[in-house]
Amino acid sequence: MNWTPVFPLWLIVILLCLGLAAVVVQYGLVRRRLGSSRAVMISLLRLGVILLLILFALNPSAIRRKEYKVSSPIAVLLDSSQSMGLPAGTRKGSRLEEAKALLLHGEKSLLKSLAERYEVRLYAVGDSMKALDGRELSSLKASERQVDLGEALKSLGREKSLAILLSDGNLNWEENGSSTLPLIAVPVGDTGDYKDILIKDIKAPGLAFRGREVLIHVTIKSYGYTGLTIPVLLKEGNRLLTAKNVTINKTSDEITLPLSFIPEELGSHHLSVSIPPQFGESLASNNSANLSIKVVKDKIRILMVSGNPSMNYRFMRMAFKNDPSIDLLSFVILRTPSGILNVPIQEQSLIPFPVETIFSKELNSFDLVIFDNFSYELYFKPDYLKAVRDFVREGGSFSMIGGPNLFDSYAGTPIEDLLPIRLTGKRDYHRDSPLEVRLSHAGTTHPITRLSPEEKENARLWQEMPPLDGVNSLEPKNSGTVLLESNERTSRPILSVGSFGKGRVLVLATDYSWKWYMGMVAKGKGNWAYLRLMERMVRWLTRDPSLDPVQITMPERAGAVGQEIGVRIKLRENDRSSHPKGTISLSVFNPDGLKQMSQLKTTGHSDEYVGSFFPEKEGTYKIKVDTEFGLLEEALTIAKHGEGLDGAPHPERLKMIAASTGGKFLTRGDDLLKEMESYVGGNRNRFIEERTLPIWSRWYALTIILFLLAMEWYLRRRWGMI
Amino acid sequence: MGLGLAASLLFRRPETLLSAPFPQFFFSQIKYRGGEWDPNPQFVEAIIEELELRTSIDGSKERRITTLSDPDLFFYPFLYMAGKYEFEPFTQQEREILKQFLTFGGFLFAEDTMGAKGFGFDQSFRNEMKKILPNHELKRLLPDHSVYRSFYLIESIGGRQKVNPYLEGITIDNWTPVIYSQNDLSGAWSKDRFGKWVNECMPGGEPQRSSAFKAGINIIVYSFTSDYKKDLIHHPFIKRRQNL
Repeated sequence: MNWTPVFPLWLIVILLCLGLAAVVVQYGLVRRRLGSSRAVMISLLRLGVILLLILFALNPSAIRRKEYKVSSPIAVLLDSSQSMGLPAGTRKGSRLEEAKALLLHGEKSLLKSLAERYEVRLYAVGDSMKALDGRELSSLKASERQVDLGEALKSLGREKSLAILLSDGNLNWEENGSSTLPLIAVPVGDTGDYKDILIKDIKAPGLAFRGREVLIHVTIKSYGYTGLTIPVLLKEGNRLLTAKNVTINKTSDEITLPLSFIPEELGSHHLSVSIPPQFGESLASNNSANLSIKVVKDKIRILMVSGNPSMNYRFMRMAFKNDPSIDLLSFVILRTPSGILNVPIQEQSLIPFPVETIFSKELNSFDLVIFDNFSYELYFKPDYLKAVRDFVREGGSFSMIGGPNLFDSYAGTPIEDLLPIRLTGKRDYHRDSPLEVRLSHAGTTHPITRLSPEEKENARLWQEMPPLDGVNSLEPKNSGTVLLESNERTSRPILSVGSFGKGRVLVLATDYSWKWYMGMVAKGKGNWAYLRLMERMVRWLTRDPSLDPVQITMPERAGAVGQEIGVRIKLRENDRSSHPKGTISLSVFNPDGLKQMSQLKTTGHSDEYVGSFFPEKEGTYKIKVDTEFGLLEEALTIAKHGEGLDGAPHPERLKMIAASTGGKFLTRGDDLLKEMESYVGGNRNRFIEERTLPIWSRWYALTIILFLLAMEWYLRRRWGMI
Repeated sequence: MGLGLAASLLFRRPETLLSAPFPQFFFSQIKYRGGEWDPNPQFVEAIIEELELRTSIDGSKERRITTLSDPDLFFYPFLYMAGKYEFEPFTQQEREILKQFLTFGGFLFAEDTMGAKGFGFDQSFRNEMKKILPNHELKRLLPDHSVYRSFYLIESIGGRQKVNPYLEGITIDNWTPVIYSQNDLSGAWSKDRFGKWVNECMPGGEPQRSSAFKAGINIIVYSFTSDYKKDLIHHPFIKRRQNL
């Protein structure tokens, strides 16, 4: 019995005394009217009520104790990573099967013996931890990519008193002191019989420059092939890029080998590094690894041919030379063949125009060819124009800058096919009254003419540009896009762009664009608008990624089958003001070209998105992002099953992990049950349940009081007191 | 009436042409205050004829007279300034305009037609340049400068007189927006309306005149091509010819 008075004890004593006194006084009064026996009866009833109330003030409660006995909880962790699917050794079956046999088979299986003594929970540990029952254990497969043991032990927390791990030691472990659970490690797999050569790591730049050597560092690890010389091959598809031999000096040795090649083509290159499988190798899938490298231009190479020395040439040259990413090779026709030279050759600085070399051999080394007020007839065979057309069709860029020498001679030539404007075949150059230009509808958003991110500011900027003194009168083609046009009733295209084959083409129908430079300088607004226009013309023509409406950032580490792959998508800042929400879409195509499930989510930033997908097979995936400003496609290589897997058993690693948790590494001769005694005592734990039951809150206590009061009232009434 | 029209065409003021569109090359001559701003009024025709004969540049024989406060100044490809005598200092506003013009891509060819070092036009011009571009010195252009090889390979500069066998200039980065001569090139170019040379070239005679024309053409070509001749592709050719 437990007492917890609701009032201070002294107050209860006073109340008791007052109650007793009241009873005595009541007895005296009642005896005078009813006699002593009846007075005693009524007073006893009243006394009973008072005593009960005093008793409740003392708040008595009953305590009930119950003793329980429980088993110690233990966790059995079974490594289900890929390496557990490798052969256990000379014995048949995989390491996982060896572990299962240890747990399930035998006269009295280990799992059964443990269950008799402890509360056993079985878990498969892989990319995540999963509780298993007996049936699930039989069908468990070694398919998980990696095991993070630290995380697994952390999630078990303090609920378990011990963990038993069955593993080959190929798992991630970072000792951070957070685990309080002792671990008993039971090794599976045999180190002595394991033979393997694997590509453990590849370090390669994600971005490479065309024409510059790319260095790839390949780390190779081997088990059991001491003294063997093996070839290491770097391939793109079936094409061998380079190969090197490497000799394995000792087992478990890691060798880092540099492989290099010079990329010649722009774009994404999907490469593979491989070593031919050797006799007796336990695992062949880790003999190759894939990587992707994006090849970009080191410098944008421009070939500019100018029909004569001019302000246009000088200002364009200044703009190109001002940009360190541009490599300009220019030829200016300083004299026409009809011109007379009055001096011997040693007094001339003129050089021959190497037309043959450039247009039949070197053309593909350029990114952009510019004809600046250049009439080809006196210098070119029509074959060279065909070469220019083929150059553009295959992805090169071409630009024509206007002037009196231009256009009239190109009608009916291969150049006419690729231009975004129509040629009349007449002399169409006018140098009459100055002509103002204005942005076309397409020009308001096009990256070339979008000199300012703000649409209104951009329009104002173009309105301020000084008029042009000389323009070529041209007609637009349906296939082209006019960005700037003359500000007159029947507008003429001034700046037009288009595509031909894989290449891009631009026509600027004036030799007076330099006035946009000096005109803005005269207004005190500097030269940035002209320089930016020239830079953007070049970058748009050469498909420079910095002008792409969308930029995709691939994950830093190559993904693998079954893993979530995330890509970051960023819309170009300049398009933000005109980019309505909801016009971006993501499509992912698997190596077979089939579209697969993907997700696109917004981030905290309005112009940033995150796309994700789960690859189901290895190979090259195409990622397409579509916006109203264009489409961007990137490729990503997903590693195949087992790539980079070091499958050798690592018992020493298990030993280290067990020691760091305060547990034990079991060798084959050790008795697991005996070892466990020292950690969890082998006996069942006891605990006592104690329950407090308050008496006054029971219904019958109130009933007794009411009964006593009712009896007193009844007797008083019967005996004529009420 | 016919005579009147002919006279008006013959004696029309060049300034009236300013609103017309600009040909590819033309001289825009600065008319300044004080001194003698136009010492060789007949220099244009011969050099333009020579320019069109030798090069692919389309030139205009129409000279434009301008001032530093002209709103069209920035659209003149080739600003020309000549004189014999000391002239009135430029105003601060004029200096600012010229500084802006020269710093951002404009070009000025100036010549002292008297050839007196440290006196007259030479003194005034050098003072003004110091004030306009104080951080850039007017100095001799070395033999490997692009102006000596922009069209002809030149070793010495001719002119009506031979004060300096070289040109001077102010170079900003790789561009020389100011080129200065004291040899009176325009004096050597000047022809009267009957086609006779206005001035004799001393002391070298006609070879000195020929050299003046070459220098003039090189300066004009340089104003359109900048350091084009410094591009690597030209090196072996120029070196081979210099060694001939």
